[in-house]
Amino acid sequence: MGKTKVIVGLGSCGIAAGAKKTFEKIQALKKTENLDFELKQTSCIGMCYNEPLVEIIDDDGHYLYGGIDEDKAMEVIEKHVVQHEPLKDYVVQSDLFETMDDVFFDDQVKIALRNCGYIDPESLEEAENTGAYQAMNKIQKDNIDGDAIIQSVLDSGLRGRGGGGFPTGKKWVFAKNSESDEKYIICNADEGDPGAFMDRSLLEGDPHAVLEGMMIGAYAIGAQQGVIYCRAEYPLAIKRLNIAIEQAREKGYLGENACGIDGFSFDIYVKKGAGAFVCGEETALMASVEGERGMPRKRPPFPAVKGLWGKPTNINNVETWANVPWIIREGAQEYAKYGTENSKGTKVFALTGKIKHGGLVEVPMGMSIRDIVFKLGGGILNNKAFKAVQLGGPSGGCIPAYMADTIVDYDSVNATGAIMGSGGLVVMDETTCMVDMARFFLDFTTKESCGKCTFCRVGTKRMLEILTRITKGDGKEGDIEKLEELAYKVKENSLCGLGQTAPNPVLTTIKYFRDEYDAHIRDKKCPAKVCTELITYVVDEEKCTGCTVCAKNCPVDAISGERKQIHFVDQNVCIQCGVCYTKCNFDAIKLL
Amino acid sequence: MDKLNIILNGETVQGIPGETILELANRHGMEIPTLCHDKRLKPYSSCYVCVVEVAGRGTQPSCSTEIAEGMQINTDNQKVFDARKMALDLLLSNHYADCVAPCKETCPAGVDVQGYISLIEKKQYNDAIALIKEDNPLPAICGRVCVRPCEAACRRNLLDEGNAVGIDYLKRFAADQDLLHSNHYKPEVAEPTGKKVAIIGAGPGGLSAAYWLQQKGHQCDIFEANEHPGGWLRYGIPEYRLPNDLLDKEIETITELGSKIFTKRKLGDNLSYKKIRKDYDATILTIGSQRGTLLRAEGEEADGVFSGIDFLRNMEMTGQKYDFCGKTVVTVGGGNTAMDCCRTAMRCGAERSIIVYRRTEKEMPANPIEIHETKAEGIEYMLLTNPVKVNSDDAGKVKSMTLIKMELGAPDASGRRRPVPVEGSEYKLECDYILAAIGQKTDANFMDDINTNSDEGKLELNRWGDIDANEKTLQTGIKSVFAAGDGVTGPATIIEAIAQAKTAAHSVDMFLRDEEPMPIPKPFVSRKDNFKTQISEDYLGRYRKQLRHEMPVLSENDRKHFREVELGYESDQVAVEEAHRCLECGCSEFFDCDLQRYSTEYRVEQEKFSGDFIEKAIDFSHPYIEIDNNKCILCSRCVRICKDVVGASALGLVERGFDTYVAPAMGESLVDSNCESCGLCISACPTGAITENAKFKPGPVKTEAIKTISPFGSIGESIQLEHKNGFVFRVNGTEGMINPLGNIDRFAKFAYNFINKTDRITKPLIRRKGKLEEASWDEIKHVLQEKLDYDKPTALFAGGRLTNEELFAMKTLSEQVPMVKYTGSFHLLHMGEGHLNASEINMPFDQFDRVEQILLMHPQINMDDATLGFMVNEAKTQHDAEVILITDRENPKLEQKMSRVIRILSYDALFKAINHYLLSHNLQNDMFLNHHCDELDAYKSKLLKADFSALCQRAGLSEKEISDLFNTYNLSQHALIITAERYLNQAALAEARNLCLLTGKLGKTSSGLINVKEKNNSQGTIDMGLVSNIQNVRAAFYRKEMKQIFIFGEDPVGTAKDKTAVKASIESSDFLLVQDYFMNETIEIADVVLPASLPFEIGGSFTNTQKMIQQFDAGLKSKLEKNSLQQIAFLGNLLSPDKPEISDTVHALNEQMFPKLKSDANPYRIVISDDKSLSEFHHAADLVMKLFDDEFEHAFKS
Repeated sequence: MGKTKVIVGLGSCGIAAGAKKTFEKIQALKKTENLDFELKQTSCIGMCYNEPLVEIIDDDGHYLYGGIDEDKAMEVIEKHVVQHEPLKDYVVQSDLFETMDDVFFDDQVKIALRNCGYIDPESLEEAENTGAYQAMNKIQKDNIDGDAIIQSVLDSGLRGRGGGGFPTGKKWVFAKNSESDEKYIICNADEGDPGAFMDRSLLEGDPHAVLEGMMIGAYAIGAQQGVIYCRAEYPLAIKRLNIAIEQAREKGYLGENACGIDGFSFDIYVKKGAGAFVCGEETALMASVEGERGMPRKRPPFPAVKGLWGKPTNINNVETWANVPWIIREGAQEYAKYGTENSKGTKVFALTGKIKHGGLVEVPMGMSIRDIVFKLGGGILNNKAFKAVQLGGPSGGCIPAYMADTIVDYDSVNATGAIMGSGGLVVMDETTCMVDMARFFLDFTTKESCGKCTFCRVGTKRMLEILTRITKGDGKEGDIEKLEELAYKVKENSLCGLGQTAPNPVLTTIKYFRDEYDAHIRDKKCPAKVCTELITYVVDEEKCTGCTVCAKNCPVDAISGERKQIHFVDQNVCIQCGVCYTKCNFDAIKLL
Repeated sequence: MDKLNIILNGETVQGIPGETILELANRHGMEIPTLCHDKRLKPYSSCYVCVVEVAGRGTQPSCSTEIAEGMQINTDNQKVFDARKMALDLLLSNHYADCVAPCKETCPAGVDVQGYISLIEKKQYNDAIALIKEDNPLPAICGRVCVRPCEAACRRNLLDEGNAVGIDYLKRFAADQDLLHSNHYKPEVAEPTGKKVAIIGAGPGGLSAAYWLQQKGHQCDIFEANEHPGGWLRYGIPEYRLPNDLLDKEIETITELGSKIFTKRKLGDNLSYKKIRKDYDATILTIGSQRGTLLRAEGEEADGVFSGIDFLRNMEMTGQKYDFCGKTVVTVGGGNTAMDCCRTAMRCGAERSIIVYRRTEKEMPANPIEIHETKAEGIEYMLLTNPVKVNSDDAGKVKSMTLIKMELGAPDASGRRRPVPVEGSEYKLECDYILAAIGQKTDANFMDDINTNSDEGKLELNRWGDIDANEKTLQTGIKSVFAAGDGVTGPATIIEAIAQAKTAAHSVDMFLRDEEPMPIPKPFVSRKDNFKTQISEDYLGRYRKQLRHEMPVLSENDRKHFREVELGYESDQVAVEEAHRCLECGCSEFFDCDLQRYSTEYRVEQEKFSGDFIEKAIDFSHPYIEIDNNKCILCSRCVRICKDVVGASALGLVERGFDTYVAPAMGESLVDSNCESCGLCISACPTGAITENAKFKPGPVKTEAIKTISPFGSIGESIQLEHKNGFVFRVNGTEGMINPLGNIDRFAKFAYNFINKTDRITKPLIRRKGKLEEASWDEIKHVLQEKLDYDKPTALFAGGRLTNEELFAMKTLSEQVPMVKYTGSFHLLHMGEGHLNASEINMPFDQFDRVEQILLMHPQINMDDATLGFMVNEAKTQHDAEVILITDRENPKLEQKMSRVIRILSYDALFKAINHYLLSHNLQNDMFLNHHCDELDAYKSKLLKADFSALCQRAGLSEKEISDLFNTYNLSQHALIITAERYLNQAALAEARNLCLLTGKLGKTSSGLINVKEKNNSQGTIDMGLVSNIQNVRAAFYRKEMKQIFIFGEDPVGTAKDKTAVKASIESSDFLLVQDYFMNETIEIADVVLPASLPFEIGGSFTNTQKMIQQFDAGLKSKLEKNSLQQIAFLGNLLSPDKPEISDTVHALNEQMFPKLKSDANPYRIVISDDKSLSEFHHAADLVMKLFDDEFEHAFKS
């Protein structure tokens, strides 16, 4: 009989949900009660909506408990570990019986996330046990050369998962063909889209997968130095990366004659990004690594020809790198089994917004948005009406509910005006104002513009000003046309991807929700009742009980009425703060 | 390399691989607009103004897009235009700045007020008037009677409680000064075109139109109905405001160009259009608005009721003034005519002169200053009062008028509150005369005459009864007939009439050239008012309050006559002080601004995308460089040039996105940064965001440019002086042999103030009774003949700033005049063997690209010879050269740019140690030495006698450091040593050169030595033979053997390191003659002083430190009776009358000079020198250098 294993998910999402306390509680219990089980940590398994997660593996099988706070932890340990009576009510997934939450996993295919949530990310041994560095071993043992590796990557059909979707193998060919005594490999981990956390989870959950991917790339193109450019806001990812790098060095995976390959010298260091979104753009990223202000430059020359320190450089994002060892290990054909004609393999998505099962999923390319939202995601929060998804963050665009059968592959998504992006998928319901949503994303890009080129610096700002005035009820006839005029010019005349894509949320919302713009501009109404300046709060005379709560809470004394009498909102005084609406216990405040 | 085939705008052209679209287009003669691109810098692509369309790739920035085979490029289609326009629209939507000042913007004629105020500041009245007359030919008149909308718009009002700059006063002052001058401003008149123009009416409009058209070569004849020309100026404006003689004088400035005025000729009366049509090619109707309107009140036909203008006109026509003694005169109206009427009535003896006006004083259209004067003169006001009826006696003579009180109601169409009668408030006012000054009408009674005699269209009146003319071109229904002034607009102002005349003249000129008349194109102007209303806080802090110099006027008790009331500013000084009140709202770069130019071209709409804008205080904390972020378009050229060319990185970008701005990279001010004050940032700015912090009002005014060579360091940069009549407004680098990209240093850029200094010595001076007094050349001749002793040993010193031609003439003088025993130059007085060959074989400046290593032994290169410093920096940053600074002093700004810094104690010990190491280890390049040098053995045996470790110790380095330094130098294929004579003594210089010889690097491509001399023509001084025997001269000088001394262009006393010794030696002489630009300390003890010519006044050539001779022409007008060359000839001919004449026309190098340019010594000779002397003078003994060094130091102290 093996020792029972208790594994707590200690990714950033878990920790945020209180997993650290849960872990400490179990640790304390184990000590004080002198319990005999193995307590371990892992990272995010993707089921963020059920954090903190505690997995118990015993001889019978594995049980994943969800929402385990300190109290429940005691209960679970007591019942399951001590008394061997699993608490089925708390189990969200198990190999012994079906649960409601099984739908979350049923259609996922985990390649990039293969180890996330299953291994202790700080243990090289566990990583190795699940296949880490087997690809490098295979390369070494079978004496596979760079061209063959690149051919495999080409055959796999892997495309850049950072958002561009450029065929990874092709990029490597360019870098390999650039003559130079020095070459660089960069892992772009400057994940900055609002609502996106694919890279963070991957780095926290399986850092060795990324390191191995970079080693394969370095070996293939002939690079000696790797840089992981990771945003400083990911301290746990950086910590685990550094642990992993140290482990890899000790074990000889990095350094001189790395992975036992004669003459292959390769090392990696982590460069912390200072938090500028634009540094996710590869030329700005390299400028930042070089200690310059993070500003992009015109391509060509592409990094593959003239990159970091002027040397040929290959940049891929975290998810792309994590796929590479699997492809080499399992074979390109295995990978290409998944996906569609031009988009092979799987894609990781971060599901956020008005969705029941918020979290991280990895699905084969070709799954429909509807399936992602309603099957894996469990549908819309509070069963409100599904309105749209925003794909690709601020660089992407929205896809309306009526186009939810669009499948996720590069071509299909691009055809809608959105982009696949790095995998942020924000779900919106009927209470989302699409104008305000476009304003929100544009506000983000405007603030994150580096300020270099005219259209991005001033153009996005002007678009934001127009959107802001529309949401404030000051929109004018012709504003939509002006927005479109600006949007197309900004897209075409910006130096880097940030500016080239910043207008996408605006253009797609105008395309699919023009009537909402018109309502704001012409009728001075916000149909989703989000834009405060356009909302009128009135008392529903049928429902008002005269409890006075609204009047007492109104910060500007706009509500009057005697106790037990119907109350009244003075619209001249009301500042549309919405306090009455949230305070009323009888739903007696209506939004018009 | 194979050429690429490119389709550029539909045509196949050959492209060079690697070039950008912009380069390709430029090579094919196409201009593509760009703001962020700078030839000196790598492509950047931020402005997106240079976009072109590339087939399949949409619009692309041409500055950074490399061409590729088969690329199809369109540089000029609608899509490209739209993209460029929007880029500019967006840039300008955040360009919170005024291109031109509100005064100019508001002036109907668009007179460049800021420009002429700048010229008045420099007392250049003639130029000021020339500038005014581009838009207004009547400055003396307008300077007196203009309604001056400019002053209402003047931003000084915000600071000094409504006290605008006295713009009109200044204009009048300049105009009066100009008219006083025998040589008043007269524009050039083009060759006659043979075309004739008839102008009907000699008022301001007619006169102005004639002024401009005559200049174009069209003969203008003006027909005037009255006896004298002037129109309203003469017949409407009373003499006490505008004297007739002044009027006549100014009219003469128009007729003197060739226009004729025919008086007493009235169209439709004694002049028919039939004749005009026959004799003239075009007609301009400038008939004015001459019919006065009466009161429209009952009884106004009474005797004693006049229209105001008739009243004024009658007096002028009859020459008789009305006798109003003891009478009460009521003037109805609140405009300027009313003011003229009531004040004239007073002057005609009226007991009471009363203004009746239906609104309040605030609504009165008259000039505030006029209102002020009426009050001073005792005019009574009945405001909010309106006439109802004129009451007359039985004889029909005015007895009284019935008035009614008014109150102000709601605003009317004009925005003024409409006066409403107060019912039942009527009352009577006893009076004798009533003057109705409430309006005028156009009287076009010649219409029939014209229309019956015209068969090419019809002249018509508009619904207000004025002549109907095209608003933009002022062409009437008859193509050859144009109209301007009040006759078109209805009664307006003089300046509006002038403005219209300009439009009409422009149209007529086009018409006469058989072109379709078009309006005068208007440039784009950015306006601060498009962003926000200006308030005083926007200006306080930068400017201080300063009340205006009011116009002196006749005493209030001395006004019962028609003499001019306003007396004009008293003096230059008052005018200059008033000019200083100008806030210079317009941009100093207006004429050079690419942003403005493109904005005009692409028809930018500044308010199309208006929104937030960057508003920042102007940073003028740096004494030479001003940063105005409000104007910045973030092209980063300043930031990049400072980093990439200068290497200082003193500027950086702060914040992100829309909030980004340019700021000093460290600290609050550039002064606290690594800034080296070279001013390259200014040269890089495509708009007015980084400008020179000028010490005077830069205008802007249009300047003339002269190309010349920097008169400071010995590098020899090509520069351009931009001047107006000798006053230099700025200096720019131009693309020259030394500085092919136009880069220059701080001396060349900022040290031009000496040219503008007003205390220049322009006449010879003779010391009499201890004091220097101006003298004539005859007197100089007498004094020299009298005082100079032909038997006394005489010395001639010439400075390193003089031209080769001056130096040659001086050398000739010294040879011809027997008394001259010594020739020399103070700044080279210490010169010896070590110097001789130092510049003989230098690595040319254009070989930096292949240099691998530089040993930099110029510890102040960034401050003294920055242009060379730029080359060093480029070698390091662009071509990966290792630059090792070897220095004996602190210079953090330089050190931060270096690959490595080695601190030493002694340059000569260092080189001796290195050479010692080299020779003792037999590491010399024998092949090279055998070929070139004979002296090796002697040198070797001498050097090796020294103790190596003692040398190392004296150098301040360990033996290992010495050997390491040598080895890295020796192993470098292309290694360069840079030395500076200012800081390295002769021993060090000689050894540095010896090191190059011993290693065989001297004379090799991208290798060897660059030695920097101190002055722009130090080398010329040597080449011209002035210092050939300098050691003896030096000895004689300190032994006080020189009894008579001539010093040209040096100030040895003022610059001596040992002032006492130098002064004593000079004072020991019996006679001292000094030539310089300004007073200096040597002049203080001189017997005779001669004025010196600026190099820009005589032209000539300088020889730079690499022996490159660069010639330049004379560009500035000489301020001297005899220029420097003539003076030398004068001296030579005076002191050696029997010798051939010394030519005073040595303007360029001639063959005679060449033998002296050759040096006899073997340039590869190994020189052994133990001489550790450095220059005995600061500032290379040059007064101008000293002035700037002092100014610079002082500027950063305060």
